[in-house]
Amino acid sequence: MTSPPKAEGGGTPVVGGEREPGKGPEGGQVEGRSPGRLMWIRFKRDRVGVVSAFVVGFFFLIGLLAPLISKVYGKDPFTVYADERPELFDSAGVPVQPNGGISGEFWFGLEPGNGYDVFTKLIYGIRTSLMISLTVTVAVVLTGIVLGVTAGYLGGKADFAIGRLIDFLLAIPAQLFFIASMPVVVSLFVSPRDETPTYVRVVALIAVQWLLGWMSLGRILRGATLSLREREFIEAARVSGATSERIIRKEILPNVVTPLLVQSTYLLPNFVTAEAALSFLGVGIVEPTPDWGQMFAKASTELVLQNDITYMFFPGVSMIIFVIAFNLLGDSVRDAFDPKSAR
Amino acid sequence: MEEEAVDVSKGVDVSKGEAAKGEATLPGPREAGAGAAESPGEPLLVVEKLVKHFPVKGGFPIRRTVGAVQAVDGIDLTVHVGESFGLVGESGCGKSTTGRLITRLLEPTSGSISYRGRDIAHASRKQLAPIRSEIQMIFQDPYSSLNPRQTVGKIISGPMEINGIDPTGGREKRVRELLEIVGLNPEHYNRFPHEFSGGQRQRIGVARALALEPKLIVADEPVSALDVSIQAQVVNLLQQVQKDLGIAFLFIAHDLAIVRHFSQRVAVMYLGKIIEVGDRDSIYKRPRHPYTHALLSAVPEVTLDGGAEETGRERIRLAGDVPSPISPPSGCRFRTRCWKSQDKCATEEPPLVRLSGNRPHHLTACHFPEAPTTEAREEDIVLDPALTALEEGEG
Ligand SMILES: Nc1ncnc2c1ncn2[C@@H]1O[C@H](COP(=O)(O)OP(=O)(O)O)[C@@H](O)[C@H]1O
Ligand code: SF4
Ligand SMILES: [Mg+2]
Repeated sequence: MTSPPKAEGGGTPVVGGEREPGKGPEGGQVEGRSPGRLMWIRFKRDRVGVVSAFVVGFFFLIGLLAPLISKVYGKDPFTVYADERPELFDSAGVPVQPNGGISGEFWFGLEPGNGYDVFTKLIYGIRTSLMISLTVTVAVVLTGIVLGVTAGYLGGKADFAIGRLIDFLLAIPAQLFFIASMPVVVSLFVSPRDETPTYVRVVALIAVQWLLGWMSLGRILRGATLSLREREFIEAARVSGATSERIIRKEILPNVVTPLLVQSTYLLPNFVTAEAALSFLGVGIVEPTPDWGQMFAKASTELVLQNDITYMFFPGVSMIIFVIAFNLLGDSVRDAFDPKSAR
Repeated sequence: MEEEAVDVSKGVDVSKGEAAKGEATLPGPREAGAGAAESPGEPLLVVEKLVKHFPVKGGFPIRRTVGAVQAVDGIDLTVHVGESFGLVGESGCGKSTTGRLITRLLEPTSGSISYRGRDIAHASRKQLAPIRSEIQMIFQDPYSSLNPRQTVGKIISGPMEINGIDPTGGREKRVRELLEIVGLNPEHYNRFPHEFSGGQRQRIGVARALALEPKLIVADEPVSALDVSIQAQVVNLLQQVQKDLGIAFLFIAHDLAIVRHFSQRVAVMYLGKIIEVGDRDSIYKRPRHPYTHALLSAVPEVTLDGGAEETGRERIRLAGDVPSPISPPSGCRFRTRCWKSQDKCATEEPPLVRLSGNRPHHLTACHFPEAPTTEAREEDIVLDPALTALEEGEG
């Protein structure tokens, strides 16, 4: 996780020899290849990375297009099919057909009880989960940049204060904190007697994950900034009279994009699983709002009661594929940025 | 290029530690300053009693200042318009700190730095703005001095952008000119630093320093990170730049070999102090301070065909390393490694003065100076026991 941030510099000189006042041998090629371009070229060669990127992109597309897909499919995740189509369910509310009621009409079957359509529920669930996780990631990245780069650049007292804050937050057991604090955070917004609106749960989920999610990134950015601050090109900018704001914007930030991108690709799937865990435990998103993780809660009950694994199958497999693909993507991104660390 | 006769005796107080420009008496083969707008010989930069102590923190549980690294401890130097001034000393003796103080990357603990009569020792970034473009720096490490994420064009035009300078014809045209001046292909404008070799990167650094048309460039060991075969090329480039553009240089180096070809005046530094300063020939041919003798004997005498010439020069090997600048030796700081050291050296700090027998403006800080010659001695001075054993084994 804490791979030390390395700045680029491993490139081999390609522009001819030492003395070369006139036109070089490849004088026609004027455009240089930026470190970012080189990274992209290396990444494209990595087949695992490209496939993972497509898989990850596919999930985001599903989440984005969920309303459109369900419109074409002709169903939505809120229709209580136990009432609409009672003939599909037995007296206990379990679908009559085998495998959770999978049919040409209900591709992934129907949920026991209320009889929600599993397919639309899953795509809407993915939509909810990814939306929350993406928001947490953005919040964490922004916080990590602001606090990490500030600590690294300013040093001294600011660094000390931020460092202790990070230590303190890291000492809190995250899982326990999430479970314990979710109801508390929610109750800050609504009185326990009222119905909790969904957006309050979403905001609370984002808030607690953000609060305990930014430290590792903040630390890495602090370290990267600290080592960049010693580099002579920063001093060169200062000798020319550059403001701190310009130095951070033009000299430091472009050089921490690498650790930032690599860490973000590791963080996002973590937030997805953490959110799923909270919803599974009942402190995250609750019915009837569809959610990836919360589907497992229902599925596990069914697994025990009916000995039927169908309900675990679709959310489970899709999430495993998503998390694995995202982590492989993270590895590929890291390797592409830092060819020396490649296996 | 014509050599200008400059009156050296401009009434500079020698005992104060400033040395006037003395090239008129000692016309070197590579005189500089011909193209300068100001008349050469005027002081451009005057540094007096400059001190920089870095606090050393320690203690538990409450961290406090427990001492100070006396990186620079009261130095005086003057750089004249268009002149190249060499600052030489072993690693860790405070040369880079001096350079960083002058470019105001660091704020001095005390002392004054006056640039064209203006004290900039404690000036803020805003106050420095008008002279920022006049004092530039060339860095030691070509791999860390260029932002890997910026194109060569962006790197070189950065200083112009910061200072809002719009040359006629645009910044890009100016950058291409600068690339040409430093011997690079102007077509490399859109390339990135990783596509260049160390020597080429250093040329880019030179172009960046020239972008603001400075009057003074602090070059902190600009070639010591380069391949020996490339060092000469970059030194030649700097020399060309200095000559053609009339820029004054504070040229920092860790040995006397490179400075010899570059600087009209040379100061030798040891543990935060200047221990000898003078005109080039005076320092190289008639050194007085034992440390200067030691440094000189380490310089290989390279002849034009590249072979090392074994002339009858003295050989001196110093023992060990420079002592810690946290607690430098009392009296003369060189006494722990000096073969002439006596009791007086431990109790009394030698002042930097013109010794009898020294040429004008040649100042030395030593109680028991050496003879002004670099002729071979009857016996080599080898203070390192390990080296002594080695030499005996060879013999
Ligand atoms: N920022 C700093 N903080 C503490 N000590 C420093 C700092 N910069 C330099 N020093 C110390 O000051 C002394 C002189 O360093 P420097 O000026 O870099 O020497 P040189 O360039 O001659 O090798 C060294 O002992 C070094 O460790
Ligand atoms: S003052 Fe003494 S110790 Fe110092 S250099 Fe001279 S002789 Fe050596
Ligand atoms: Mg140095």
